[in-house]
Amino acid sequence: MPDPYDLLILGSGSTAFAAAIKANELGARGAMVERRKLGGTCANRGCLPSKNLIEAARIVWEAAHPRYDGLAAAKVEVDFPALVRQKDDVVRDYRTKKYAAVAEGSGVEVLSGDARLTGPHTIALDGRTIEADRLLIATGSRPKVPPIAGLDSVPYLTSDLLEADEAGRLDELPESLVVLGGGYVAVELAQLFARLGSRVTLVARSGLLRGYEPMLGETLAEAFRSEGIEVVTSARVERVSSDGGGVAVAVETPAAGRIIRAERLLVATGRTPNTEDLDLAAAAVAADGDGFVTVNAELRTNQPHIWAAGDVIGRQHGSQMATPVGARQGRIVAENVLADAGRRFDGSVIPRAIFVDPPIGVVGLTEAEVRARHLPAVTATTPLGYVPRAGAIHRPEGFVKMIASTIDERILGVHVIGESAPEIIHEAAMAMHFKATISDFLELIHVYPTMAEALKIGAQAFSRDVSKLSCCAE
Amino acid sequence: MTDEQPIVYIDLGVGGMPCDDCVVRVTEALESVPGVTDAAVDLGSRSAVVRARADVEGSALARAVRATGQYNAFERRRRPAADA
Repeated sequence: MPDPYDLLILGSGSTAFAAAIKANELGARGAMVERRKLGGTCANRGCLPSKNLIEAARIVWEAAHPRYDGLAAAKVEVDFPALVRQKDDVVRDYRTKKYAAVAEGSGVEVLSGDARLTGPHTIALDGRTIEADRLLIATGSRPKVPPIAGLDSVPYLTSDLLEADEAGRLDELPESLVVLGGGYVAVELAQLFARLGSRVTLVARSGLLRGYEPMLGETLAEAFRSEGIEVVTSARVERVSSDGGGVAVAVETPAAGRIIRAERLLVATGRTPNTEDLDLAAAAVAADGDGFVTVNAELRTNQPHIWAAGDVIGRQHGSQMATPVGARQGRIVAENVLADAGRRFDGSVIPRAIFVDPPIGVVGLTEAEVRARHLPAVTATTPLGYVPRAGAIHRPEGFVKMIASTIDERILGVHVIGESAPEIIHEAAMAMHFKATISDFLELIHVYPTMAEALKIGAQAFSRDVSKLSCCAE
Repeated sequence: MTDEQPIVYIDLGVGGMPCDDCVVRVTEALESVPGVTDAAVDLGSRSAVVRARADVEGSALARAVRATGQYNAFERRRRPAADA
């Protein structure tokens, strides 16, 4: 049998890659094990393909709905199969250049197949036994399928519809679509299909974007309705069934029960960790009741030589299911495993974006989280209509909400919905990284006229009436 | 110095060595650890074999290499000298 690997990584997504590359730098003989396509969720069926299509859908929408007097609406014809093909090309190109070539160039082996733990230091991989001194579980997550009556007997889509090369992909634009879920995946895909021409009904158990600042979901629901997306909130799905060539979804709301019919059904009700096929028990690795691997802040499991990171650890230690979060954790694991770095994952400043329109960017705590922690804090919510650029380009919709400590004026959270929010949230994140205060946002000269001025104006709103500002918000 | 401790071989993985000069520096770092008799560092396999008293910890060897500020090392395993 060959020498054991220094570090065997289960998975090949952003977490695994960051760990593998760093481990290689640190002198380790490492390998990644992947049972699907190299690159994990983000590259193959998550952020990358969805952002590709969302941008295409934005072009279609904006052409049909020009914001300026003097611009006539134009209809952009959508050839959905062709659109999907270019998306697939982008995915494959990205997978080749950013994953396969990088793995090859950095000397990291990639093993294909279904891995299962068979002991503390061994895995079975399609009949082979592979040994490793240390293991990293970075197998990610997949769409969670809720226990809805009838769901096992009707065809349904998940976010795997974004796949380029695997089952579950979607090649035809549905005439109509029911989306179950109100989280970030559900809202992004709902708007994407609506803008490409599907009649979309979004069915959410509570409101949209539960767990985020309520104003974000409320603003988004309003925007969705104005675009013609039907948003059904506080809804309980009783049953799904086949209905001719489509599906029928029986829904109960506080107002009434109803049947929603559509050609296709998309289930986007959350994500579940890919751990149940790993046989964690064979290596005595602890997991919680939902299958998330239990780790300490250094991302070590209950077994000293086994680590876990990325989506499989869920929200422990402030973690989030997100590509850059996994990548950071992968690097931390490699440094802790191979260089005794003793690094702890810090999830206190994780900027996050939701690529809907109006787009969303958030970082730090929500007001509810601040209150739950009994932190003395003050909030200021400012309509983006006060931002000069928003008015200049006819994009006044949205808000910025800033939350600051009343002890030292440090910024605790920033929540933006509106033009360019995913970009401007980085200023807020960097500020929080350096423990900035309200005054720091006021002191920084911002480019005029940019949407990032929302943060300066938002900071001024703690102490001034921002409706009376001149330009440049001084 | 009396040497009542048995001799062992400690296998290390070594990272961050792009050139032959690095081999020299990593070797010096390893041989500076008390109890180390000699160290053989191999650029191609990115590894080192250290001959040392049995009471020499792999972590001490790793620390010495990391203290260069450029390289990393970690213990793979240790073997009695008789196995060498």
